[in-house]
Amino acid sequence: MFKFAHMSDIHLGAHREPVLQKLELDAFTSAMNRCVELKVNFILISGDFFHVGIPDLGVVNEALRKMLDVQKAGIPIYVIYGSHDYTPTATSVIDILDTAGVIMKIVNWRMIGGKVKLDFVTDSKTGAKLAGISARKMGLESKYYEVLDKESLEHEDGFKIFAFHSGLAEFKPAYLSEMETLPISYLPKGFDYYAGGHIHERGEFKLPGYDRVVFPGPLFTGYGRDLEVTVKGAKRGFYIVTFDDKIRHVEFSEIRNFEGLFYEYDVSGLNSLQAAKEFQQKLDSLEVKGKILVLKIKGELLGGKTSDLNFSEVKAKMMEREALYVHINRSGLSSKEYSANIVVGEDVSTVESNLLKENIGSVRVSQNTLKGENGVSIASELLKILRQETKINESKKEHKQRMVEEGLETLGLKEMFEAK
Amino acid sequence: MPGNFEVAGQVVGGKVASIMIREKSGKNIELGDLLVVEDDNSSYLILKVFDLGYGSQIPQSARELAAGLKLEGYSAGIEFMDPALRNYTLACVKAIARVSNGVARIPKVLPPFFTSVRYATKADLSFFAEPSKNPVYLGKVRSGSKVLDVDVYLDGENFFTHHVLIPATTGRGKSNLVKVLLWSALDHGKFGILVLDPHDEYYGRNDLGLKDHQSARKNLTYYSSNPPTGANTLVVNLRTLEPEHFDGIVTLTKPQEESISLYHDSFKEDWIENIVLGTHLEGVDKRTLQVLRRKLRTSLGVSVKNGAIVCDSDVFSTTAGASTLTDVVNALEDGKIVVVDTSRLSDEAELLIGSIITNKIFYRYRELKGKGTLKDKPPVSIIIEEAPRVLSAEKIEQGENIYSTIAREGRKFRVGLIAITQLTSVIPRMILTNMNTKIILGNEMATERRAIVDSAAQDLSDEDRNISSLDKGEAIVSSIFTKFAIPIYTPLFENIASRKDVFNDDNMILT
Amino acid sequence: MSLDAARRLVEGLDLCINEDDLGYPHFNDPTVHPFPLAKDGFRIVRDVKSGRKVAFVDGGNQELIGAPNFSVQLNRVYMGVWSNKSRVSVGMPRVEFFSATFSSFRNDKIFFETFLVPGSSEFERYLPEGKDVSFDSFDRSIMKGNQRADIDTVASIARRFAEWRFASLALKHLSKGDILVMDGTLQTGYTKEVNYLRNLSAAAKDRGIILTGLSKTSALFTTTGLSLLGAVSKLAEDIKISQEWYYPVAESVSEDHNVMILAVKLNRISERVYRYEIQREQFNSLNELQINEVLTALVQNSCDPTFPGYPYGLIDADAFARVSFDEIEYYRGIIISQISALGKLGKFNRHIRAIDAHSILNMLIE
Repeated sequence: MFKFAHMSDIHLGAHREPVLQKLELDAFTSAMNRCVELKVNFILISGDFFHVGIPDLGVVNEALRKMLDVQKAGIPIYVIYGSHDYTPTATSVIDILDTAGVIMKIVNWRMIGGKVKLDFVTDSKTGAKLAGISARKMGLESKYYEVLDKESLEHEDGFKIFAFHSGLAEFKPAYLSEMETLPISYLPKGFDYYAGGHIHERGEFKLPGYDRVVFPGPLFTGYGRDLEVTVKGAKRGFYIVTFDDKIRHVEFSEIRNFEGLFYEYDVSGLNSLQAAKEFQQKLDSLEVKGKILVLKIKGELLGGKTSDLNFSEVKAKMMEREALYVHINRSGLSSKEYSANIVVGEDVSTVESNLLKENIGSVRVSQNTLKGENGVSIASELLKILRQETKINESKKEHKQRMVEEGLETLGLKEMFEAK
Repeated sequence: MPGNFEVAGQVVGGKVASIMIREKSGKNIELGDLLVVEDDNSSYLILKVFDLGYGSQIPQSARELAAGLKLEGYSAGIEFMDPALRNYTLACVKAIARVSNGVARIPKVLPPFFTSVRYATKADLSFFAEPSKNPVYLGKVRSGSKVLDVDVYLDGENFFTHHVLIPATTGRGKSNLVKVLLWSALDHGKFGILVLDPHDEYYGRNDLGLKDHQSARKNLTYYSSNPPTGANTLVVNLRTLEPEHFDGIVTLTKPQEESISLYHDSFKEDWIENIVLGTHLEGVDKRTLQVLRRKLRTSLGVSVKNGAIVCDSDVFSTTAGASTLTDVVNALEDGKIVVVDTSRLSDEAELLIGSIITNKIFYRYRELKGKGTLKDKPPVSIIIEEAPRVLSAEKIEQGENIYSTIAREGRKFRVGLIAITQLTSVIPRMILTNMNTKIILGNEMATERRAIVDSAAQDLSDEDRNISSLDKGEAIVSSIFTKFAIPIYTPLFENIASRKDVFNDDNMILT
Repeated sequence: MSLDAARRLVEGLDLCINEDDLGYPHFNDPTVHPFPLAKDGFRIVRDVKSGRKVAFVDGGNQELIGAPNFSVQLNRVYMGVWSNKSRVSVGMPRVEFFSATFSSFRNDKIFFETFLVPGSSEFERYLPEGKDVSFDSFDRSIMKGNQRADIDTVASIARRFAEWRFASLALKHLSKGDILVMDGTLQTGYTKEVNYLRNLSAAAKDRGIILTGLSKTSALFTTTGLSLLGAVSKLAEDIKISQEWYYPVAESVSEDHNVMILAVKLNRISERVYRYEIQREQFNSLNELQINEVLTALVQNSCDPTFPGYPYGLIDADAFARVSFDEIEYYRGIIISQISALGKLGKFNRHIRAIDAHSILNMLIE
């Protein structure tokens, strides 16, 4: 009997805040340790191992330390790109780790007769055959699925695992109906295990031809609304799958390395001063020491501005009371007197994506590649590039140059400028 | 006006409701033929043939004798002299339009007596202009069995919001017609159309179909319990079902309905699970609960194993399909055509799925109307086959369902029905009258033809013979949006569709 | 009346009609030479195709208004041309004209005088002279027994004369060898009528067009009191002839009736036999093959199932020449409106009432 661990959406480097960053790393470390303890035969990470293609090197360093431990224990780590840790225009941390032999990318493909032929990676110890397709931004990986040679994959014998990093339409939770997903029909049928990623909600599913489709959810919190969900009690962790020629057992292994407290407050019917006062009173009654605190304020103030509720002060007070970390969600808060643009989407990434989609149509360009879905994708990539901070030992000039080069590459203009 | 033309016949008598035309010998005027008679210098009448009869200068007894002589072998040396002059065809026609300066109006005059008539040509029908906005293609104008090179379009907005009836018996080309009009609708992406496809014939799983349209990727979505690559799985989460989805689909008594309401109030989205598991609830009789359990098990294909609910059918699930309904409704709201393959479903399941989706979109649009934002949304139309299953008088008497609701009031909310039926006579008159476009295909049954004719937008009282003689692919479009009932021929779908280019991106990089 | 009486009547009549001896064709007129009735007298019409056209001429007339002293008629004359069962258009008009016959008194006698008004000026030349259709009311050729002729009888003579005249002018549309078939015999009866026949005969001879006439009815007898055509039919039945045949029954040599008289059966399934006359010199100039060509042309035209054995061309000519009852009312109305416009309705009515009592009586009885 063999075992493998399936995890995804670890998003190392997502958090800047030291407490969360530490917890994030701790969660990863715990997961790796547990894998070693349980003597799993291999680990499969189905995307978004890191939060960005080129994350903070400190984070990478720490992660690498643990990965080497795992490697020493003889446990290979198989990986596919996610939507976050993939960089089309540059080498990402995944590539480096793969080159170093610490992890192994399992997406091996060839183009034959207009079709994408995926080759299996066979785990030498267990004989398990792994194949997968990495993610692309905005769900653009669907283009590859359309020309995927499913037949050759379906006809392969043996114990097979298909790794992917996409939302599947059939398993989308209702609240994520706007999310870009793929129909499961894109995936080859008949695999023993479908190792999903990208969806930050744990789930085990089954449909005809797809006996076991598993989304582990994030290991820690990922980002955005994940923290709130986790604090509210959602279980985070990874899966341990026991198998021989078929799956024998699937078990969820929870990682819980903090205590959390969620508190929701509705300001409806109050003005800003009243709300601020009452809110503070409510908070005073909470036991916050050593906990990650998620505060959600919603409703419409009858008068005053939303900024009258001094959230910085609230945070500071909670930290004084030794809360581990305070996260305030005020996306549902509004004031009758002052309204702001409403953008649906509770986390930055979704908000960004929605804004781009909503506004791409109003951008007047003559190039078709800059319009529609493609345009949104390029804009998103450019944002990602421009968001990158200066690397250690990189001068401002070098940073600027790198920004320009990567930007040109994204726009497909690199060669043109180089020729000049 | 065309100059030289070949004479097809001559007006010899009759009255407005039935003008008699003597056919020129050899011209073979057909039922449904469109003929033209010049009215004055600048206008002409379009006449339509609705009956044909024999005319003869020879008494009936003499004709019978002649036939007898021939049949019994005595006809050597016997034949009719001057046959073309003495035996001829008389066509009964009716003026259906008077065209003056390129504008067609309802005619109020008789054609000049004893004038020649000719076959209508493309030039005579030049007033069939393509509607400027979002036209839906139905076919070409037909004159008898001849197809003229004049395309027939209806304005999509009007067409889809004012309900359509397609009465047709088997084998008359109904599927082809629907495919052609959907193909045309795909051009625009401006109409949300839900197609409940009980024979899985529209998408084109293995043949040419809607999937081959160049805008299919953008404007078409397909749901099936056995989807081909790229298509969506038809799976609906039980938690997304509401009690009203069952209205008129599953027969329930009053106590049963009330019990369901109680369960829904108490357990919210887990109401079905609790009924099927037999969870006892105050106020619900045990026997009622047993009946409900059985009914839900049957209609949803669910059972209980080891104390947990298990979905035996592929369509309903406790884990998957949580956003299917929302996705479908969003797609319709985006002006997409959503084809739902119901070929593997039971009748009841198919209606249930349709009811679920239709309920959602109807009430969403009703809500949008309340908010004043409905006008920005594309109209939505639902194509339902064997419409009497939900629209017959008998069925509606048992209880209104969402389809009958839409048939009565859907227009206000820009939600329409396209009902396909073999039996028009069982659908209540009031519903039939609301169906402002009827695309009438061939029908041998006299009672059905009567029902169709009685509820048509134009006076089709003389079209009985025409309707019974419609061949495969031939139809008559009777609509409040057309000046007269237009005879059409819908070309074969295979002839108007073409395979799209196979996706081939040489620049694709997979990592 | 009882069935018994009818039976006795029929039995008696049957005894009176004796077919045991058919006798000979009987003609009062010494200028008509009959041929014996014998089995070998039948000639089978051999099917000999030729390019001969057949033209049929017929006329029709009806009184529009009448009084003892005047009669107004609408007259028509028409010709139809056929070639091998198909109608041939030769551009000959259908001639229409009014004839008005009125009584006048001179030399102590009542005369019936006629004037003709063509429907169109182009028809004028087809009409006979008015003076030719004017008669002493006691002219023997028009008298009714010993009584003065009825004026409407005289009024209808114009049509008959017009047929001859029309036919002689129509010949220019035919070719040599073609056949002209007049409805009725080639015999004249009215004073001056023979002139018109002569003109026609001469014109036909001149152009080489064979002049013939076919009668629907016949009052010819045999020497044993049988109808001549009936006797010939009996003979044909006895020898069981199954094809079309002709039988020369007499030769007439007078000036006003210079013909070969034949009995003809023009379709094998028909039981009818007709009297067919061919201009005598022309007949004698034809050899057997040519006679068969002429008769074949006629047989070809007699195949219509509505009246097998009777030339369709004559049915057709009759239909176009006939004045229907609907037309009488229409034209009568026109005439009366013109009388009224002239302000003479009172005058005309005074004379019309003189014979109107009959129609009133008929109405009372009906």
